[in-house]
Amino acid sequence: MTVPRSGRAWGVAVAVVFAAPGCLLVARALADVWRAPAILPQRWGTRGLDVALSGRALDALATSTAVAVTTTALALLLAWPAARVLGERRLRRPGLVLAVLALPLLVPPYATGQGLTEWFVRLGLVDTAAGLVLAHLVVVLPYVVAALTPGFGPRLHALEEMAATAGLPPRLVWRTVTLPAVAPALGAAAFLGFLVSWSQYGSSLAVGGGRPLLPLLLVPFAGSDPQVAAALGLLFVLPAVLVLALATRAARSPL
Amino acid sequence: MNQVWRDRAAVVPATLVIAVLFGGAMAGAVRTSVVPLDGAPSLDVWRALFDDPAFLDSLRFTAQITALSTVLSVLLALAAALALRRSSTLLRTLLALPVPVPHLLVAVTAVLWLAPGGLAERVLGGLPFDLVGDRHGLGVVLVYVYKETPFLALLLLAAMGDELAGREEAAAVHGVRPLQRLRWVVWPAVRRPLVTGALIVAAFVLGAFEVPLLVGPAYPGTVAEYAQQATKGDLIAGEGTAAAALLVTAAVAAVLALVAVRVARGGRR
Amino acid sequence: MSAELAVEDAWVTLGGTPVLRGLSLGVASGTRSALVGPSGAGKTTLLRAVAGLTRLDAGTVRLGGRVMDGTPAHTRGVAVVFQEPRLLPHLDVAENVALPLRASGTSKRERRQRADELLGEVGLGALARRPVAGLSGGEQQRVALARALCADPQLLLLDEPLAALDPNRRDELRALLVALQQERRVTMLVVTHDRAEAAELGDRVALLMDGRIVQEGEPRALFERPASVAAARFLGMSNLIASTVRDGRAVVGGVPFDCPGPDGPATLAIRPEHVRLGGDGPLRATVLEAVYTGTAVRVLLSAAGALELTVTVPTDVAPRAGEVVRVDLPPRSLWRIPGEADPS
Repeated sequence: MTVPRSGRAWGVAVAVVFAAPGCLLVARALADVWRAPAILPQRWGTRGLDVALSGRALDALATSTAVAVTTTALALLLAWPAARVLGERRLRRPGLVLAVLALPLLVPPYATGQGLTEWFVRLGLVDTAAGLVLAHLVVVLPYVVAALTPGFGPRLHALEEMAATAGLPPRLVWRTVTLPAVAPALGAAAFLGFLVSWSQYGSSLAVGGGRPLLPLLLVPFAGSDPQVAAALGLLFVLPAVLVLALATRAARSPL
Repeated sequence: MNQVWRDRAAVVPATLVIAVLFGGAMAGAVRTSVVPLDGAPSLDVWRALFDDPAFLDSLRFTAQITALSTVLSVLLALAAALALRRSSTLLRTLLALPVPVPHLLVAVTAVLWLAPGGLAERVLGGLPFDLVGDRHGLGVVLVYVYKETPFLALLLLAAMGDELAGREEAAAVHGVRPLQRLRWVVWPAVRRPLVTGALIVAAFVLGAFEVPLLVGPAYPGTVAEYAQQATKGDLIAGEGTAAAALLVTAAVAAVLALVAVRVARGGRR
Repeated sequence: MSAELAVEDAWVTLGGTPVLRGLSLGVASGTRSALVGPSGAGKTTLLRAVAGLTRLDAGTVRLGGRVMDGTPAHTRGVAVVFQEPRLLPHLDVAENVALPLRASGTSKRERRQRADELLGEVGLGALARRPVAGLSGGEQQRVALARALCADPQLLLLDEPLAALDPNRRDELRALLVALQQERRVTMLVVTHDRAEAAELGDRVALLMDGRIVQEGEPRALFERPASVAAARFLGMSNLIASTVRDGRAVVGGVPFDCPGPDGPATLAIRPEHVRLGGDGPLRATVLEAVYTGTAVRVLLSAAGALELTVTVPTDVAPRAGEVVRVDLPPRSLWRIPGEADPS
């Protein structure tokens, strides 16, 4: 269908409002000298990126990635059976389960992290990667279950029955029917889980201040060195950009 | 094991992990707030908390930016969803752009744009009012509205599918006027996602502090900022104060959730 | 209240594809018409244009003589029973039915009363206070019908109203629709791809193909005397045969049969139910297959090499496959499609 003119105007407005800040971020990261009141930088350069890709920053990047990947993988394993049962509406009264799963979304992650610290101190988990993963898992798991649940449903069940009656053994049914059908929801859940863990600030600060993740490292620079902050910001937004690129491609292809 | 029990067993791992970690966290926070590291259980921390004018200021400030951010995002999202509901997928994709971007990054970008000496001031030759570090938290609200409006709008657009359009047409051909259709057909369909989304936004704004930390004023801070300040001072009393302050936000969020559930259900006969 | 519908030279293009291409159609006040045509012919688009849900690019819709173009849907006085029921899930059955009254500000008590009456008429009196979610498809369709009647429309439009129902329910709802229409004398237009549904519901039937009405008339005239090969095919005529007419006789399978009209090449439509088997019919044919359909037997015949004919006969005279039978084509079984020389 053709886009009406008012729709095009809206599109331009939305694009400007959402794209302009991103452009500024790139410019700021690549401006070695940009003093007021100049509108354009006085000197371009890679000082910000050099700092962002070295030393503590690089460590934080690695920790952030490792924690987010581990948390997401764990969350997916735990979420799969629950999402399947919830998606196929097999529980007669799912209210209690849903309420428990929703709780961590209502309470500030910083509060949850602060409470976990009480125990992590005794267990020696403060400032460890394991502690960070556990603290993130509480927040990530509800999102992952919510994103994975719509992947299951009566239609998938019908397809699986078809495959079973066609003589496929369970493992083959799983590989040829279940997994491809759930793949979009699985991808969405994985990305969402990764992003939630990646962006965690409050709970990370509470349980792991001594082993900084990317967001913890970024904040001090925002006041002191905007160029480094912007460069770290670019690293920080990279997964989100990847997600959007993939989602846009997925929206175009039929499957 | 029969099917019913197998189905129940399937939800146990996820539910149990959350129950243990979250329940443990809440229990831990309560314990920290009533049992100081060196002493006998007491409610001293709680008493001191509610006597501290700085805490009460931060509570007021938090309530204010939470209410303002949520209400403004909801209104803008409703307007945007109604305006964009018949538009192309491209426009929806554009609208989805800020959703996966972390709040922290939006806050950093807001500082780069809006801080004194920032680009907005340079381009416009001066801003009419301060947004970064403003005493009323206008910059904070701006960042949240910028970030949450698209999220809520997408939630609403998902509820405004073809089926809803079909019902609106049916209402139209039976004499229902446009404003009546909005009230009788559209509103009942979007109320649930809207209330759920508003709750998620409010709960987030209540407890998050990376945005006020960067964009908000030095004083008053949000409750989360207050808690973090407390941990930086006297370590022994500080942890307890922080835990107590955060438990207050958790309690407020829980009350909001109960209200939201009632509102979402309300009007069902 | 009821009004005459007149659509004149209607054009609609959707997504760059012309859907209605100069369509003209009239429905006299207080009558039932059916609009039948293959999928994609523009039936639903016409219905939406008449209801005010789709704008015409050119042409006019008149209702009771008044030009409707630019009049929004909610003030047209046209009610629609859509293909899907499109009920409001948060209201109970009675409030769904009374939606048109609610729009006009009628009190709740009056709404309930009227809804109960209408639900009684469509046979759902017991369900008034139920939520719509638990209803079966057929029940929801009846609720949608009651809602349309509640609007007291000048014109009632129905989009494939019987399509989703099993055969018994279908007969019930057909009878109900006809009875309700006759009682109220509301002008009614049914849109369907189902030939039987069109014949059952319409006093008159219009055939829509490629965005135009290609033929219009009483059901019998339409089904027995299609005006073109395409119309004949759509109406289910399988026996379309190229022939030549000379001196009032047409040659089929090498044998001349009575067929009045001018000399020349012709396409004949042979109606399966009027073909006679047995006796001293002049054409000899071999039975390829005989299929028992429950109420009749459908026989596929082959004659003179290339000629194949489908014939339906009563169950008691059915021949067996392989038998050679004699075939007669009485004049009423032959329809010469006007102006078409070649069926292909």
